[in-house]
Amino acid sequence: MHLGLNDDELVACVSCGLCLPHCPTFVITGRDTESPRGRIALMRAVQNEGAPVTDDVIRSMETCVQCRGCETACPSAVPFGHLMEGTRAALAGAGRITPRWQRWALRMLRHRRLLLAGSTLLAAAIRLRLVPTRRLGLPARMPLRRPPLRTSGDDVWLFTGCVMDAWQRDVHLAVQRVLEAAGVGVEPTGAAAPCCGALHIHAGLEADTLAMAREVMAGLSGDDRPILVDAAGCGAALKDYGHLLGTDEARAFSARVYDVHEWLAQHADELVSRRQATPLDVTVAVQDPCHLRHVQRTHQSVAEVLRPFVGNVVTLDDDGLCCGAGGAYSVMEPELSRAIRERKTAAVARSGASVVASANPGCSLHLAAAGLDVRHPLELVDEALSQTDHLQAHGR
Amino acid sequence: MASTLASATRRVLGSRRRGTRDTTRPSDNPADAALVDDLIEAVGADRVRADTAARYLASRDASIYRDGNAGPVCYPGSTSDVVACIKVASRHGRAVSPRGAGTGLAGGAAPLGQPVVLSMTRMDKLLELDLDNGVAWVQPGMVNLDLTRALAPYGVHYAPDPSSQAACTIGGNVANNSGGPHCLAYGVTSAHVLAVEVVLSDASVVTLGDLTAEPVGYDLRGAFVGSEGMCGIATAVAVRLTPNPSAVQTMLLSFGDVSDAAATVSAIIAAGIVPAAIEMLDQRCVVAVEDFAQAGYPRDAAAVLLVEVDGATGGVAIASEKVAAIAWSHQAMNVHTAADEAERARLWKGRKSAFGAVANVMPDYYLHDTVVPRTRLVEVLERIYEIVERYDLMVLNVFHAGDGNLHPILAYDSRVPGTEERVHAAGREIIEMSLDMGGALSGEHGIGVEKRDHMARMFSEVDLEQQNRLRASFDPYCRMNPGKVMPSAHSCSDIAALRASDASGVWG
Repeated sequence: MHLGLNDDELVACVSCGLCLPHCPTFVITGRDTESPRGRIALMRAVQNEGAPVTDDVIRSMETCVQCRGCETACPSAVPFGHLMEGTRAALAGAGRITPRWQRWALRMLRHRRLLLAGSTLLAAAIRLRLVPTRRLGLPARMPLRRPPLRTSGDDVWLFTGCVMDAWQRDVHLAVQRVLEAAGVGVEPTGAAAPCCGALHIHAGLEADTLAMAREVMAGLSGDDRPILVDAAGCGAALKDYGHLLGTDEARAFSARVYDVHEWLAQHADELVSRRQATPLDVTVAVQDPCHLRHVQRTHQSVAEVLRPFVGNVVTLDDDGLCCGAGGAYSVMEPELSRAIRERKTAAVARSGASVVASANPGCSLHLAAAGLDVRHPLELVDEALSQTDHLQAHGR
Repeated sequence: MASTLASATRRVLGSRRRGTRDTTRPSDNPADAALVDDLIEAVGADRVRADTAARYLASRDASIYRDGNAGPVCYPGSTSDVVACIKVASRHGRAVSPRGAGTGLAGGAAPLGQPVVLSMTRMDKLLELDLDNGVAWVQPGMVNLDLTRALAPYGVHYAPDPSSQAACTIGGNVANNSGGPHCLAYGVTSAHVLAVEVVLSDASVVTLGDLTAEPVGYDLRGAFVGSEGMCGIATAVAVRLTPNPSAVQTMLLSFGDVSDAAATVSAIIAAGIVPAAIEMLDQRCVVAVEDFAQAGYPRDAAAVLLVEVDGATGGVAIASEKVAAIAWSHQAMNVHTAADEAERARLWKGRKSAFGAVANVMPDYYLHDTVVPRTRLVEVLERIYEIVERYDLMVLNVFHAGDGNLHPILAYDSRVPGTEERVHAAGREIIEMSLDMGGALSGEHGIGVEKRDHMARMFSEVDLEQQNRLRASFDPYCRMNPGKVMPSAHSCSDIAALRASDASGVWG
């Protein structure tokens, strides 16, 4: 079976194995079938040597979290993410992965009203204990009502996305308040850009992703305002449109996309000089979402932005190993996902932090389900700012 | 209603919840069905894989050797699992091949004749730490760098540091008697392994060596370290802990002439200084590394030396001054000392990313590992350039100059027809030339299958026969990692043990 992979990208791997300790599934299983090097060797065997696509080959590809920790570890700069996305697209095209119910569920994400209504329904069902939340890796409580999104200016777009807007709109609002505190006028994208398509490309649904990318680009065209993203997975996907669509327009669009921390770190002076803030008296461990650290490679900016606003920021000692969330991965591969998460929770325990700051909704839901106190980094900044305002208003 | 919805959701998702399903798949090779059943009965279904994907990947390591052919793959979690696997394998008349991280470059972990592969990655624990005596017992699947990291809070480390130390395992290091840049001063793996718990081919468990300073009897531990899995399977290793030096100084010396660089290396050693490491990169390698890692190496130098001295603070200062003086007296273009830890890390990053940098230039590489007398480095280097030019190939040289361990990297693209033949021919000439210069086949990567057939070039019939007798005293039936190191005419019943390897490989 030809997987449609670029041969130059495929042969770039020299099988040195330096990726192994950076692969969450290899670290857990110790099996070559669950390693980046092994997966690439199987891709080659299938595409170039006529090897059959057995269930075990499929399984090898399906167990990949797509964290891309292997990419930053690779001395030969093998673009593993592209290879895995291409492989999944070929397998999904042949009907070997991503069954119909999943495709249907993922397509829901594009329909904003349906998604918001469905989420409210789900939130109600959770309150009535109709849904096995723990088993499904869902939050124990979801918002029944969402405060409306509002526009405060036209300096930047704030990308609100799909599930995050439905489940964690509070985070968007906190991010917006922080941006406004830095003197920035914000317009939330809302219905203009329903979904980035990250989960779709991970599931191998290439045609859907392309359609969604075009939809998002059309919704945010007409100006060249920066597009700020507070979800690492979405930011990585939006930044990849240039590669995905291969057009000048898409490349220009991707160049406008910033992770919100990346952008704030460049404008840190404005935020710190405009507003005094008393740091929160907590020790915060920064969890680096893989798509911030290994894909966007801008994870340093989170601690940079956070540092003036909390008492103590600590980094975890696990080399940025994935937490196991992986978008829909925690639902699809619950056993592996939890085993991977145990390493992360152990690292958090070693760090002595009481709060974990995570810049990606998938990671934060997944880690919160393990009983950790997880907040978006800018929620903490927002809290420090509002606490200071409160103290000043009361003359203290 | 609640339970209905919940069970409906469960039904939908249930079909996707496959957990350990894959591990219980029967063998894709019907001939192995009984063997696989017995292995599963012995160690449990989650520790056995016999499907083609698992066997295909267990058939290869980081070398360019691609004719390995694995039988069922087991993932033992304890010494008793290893014992059980060996018993089952031997009942079925099958050999056993161990596997660590598969980072070896000589095909040592490439199984021949469909043996049962023991993948040791699940045995990755630090078993016992005895700081008073400076010893730790570790399981063989523990990653080299993980060990050093686990030791960091105690101010000690595990000294051998192969370039692959972030991924390679202690068991693999023991099998290959691995080296690394810092082995110049500290010695290779053999100097850091005090004892090994080994499961022999008859499934008995023995401990070779002991923790006392003067062991009694023959040094069987010494015979085992470097035996490439042919004397038994290590299941626990007692390693020596080395105190961290209180001071480290890393220097970059650049030269306009390779012979000046080589002479500097000899002069440093002759002056009685034993640096922790002396690494040399030739100009082609410097350029490739700079393009890739921007380590700050001067592109116009014919060769650079990376010299590291460590020890007590005062001694380090004196030693680095001496090194600088020696370099200047050998027409160095520049002598640069790393100002801080960040710069030190950057200089080392250049050296350690050399192989990756090559991969940026060409998709494949073939790496040699011969050792030559230090005094003949210049001559050897010139011969290598000449050989490679004749075969119209590209070579980059990076080596452990302190002990004369060459790593000429032949970079090529295997997709170009005829290239692999030229690479192998050039490789053969480089090996023979190195031996002619009074060198050795392998410094640290092992013989494996890749250099097996060159053994007769280096050792006499009598030598080989005696080595074979030593191996047979551990493994009389050649059931442990058969087909490696010893050239075929000398490997007792290996050939019988290697079932007729079908050329179609795992997928066939």
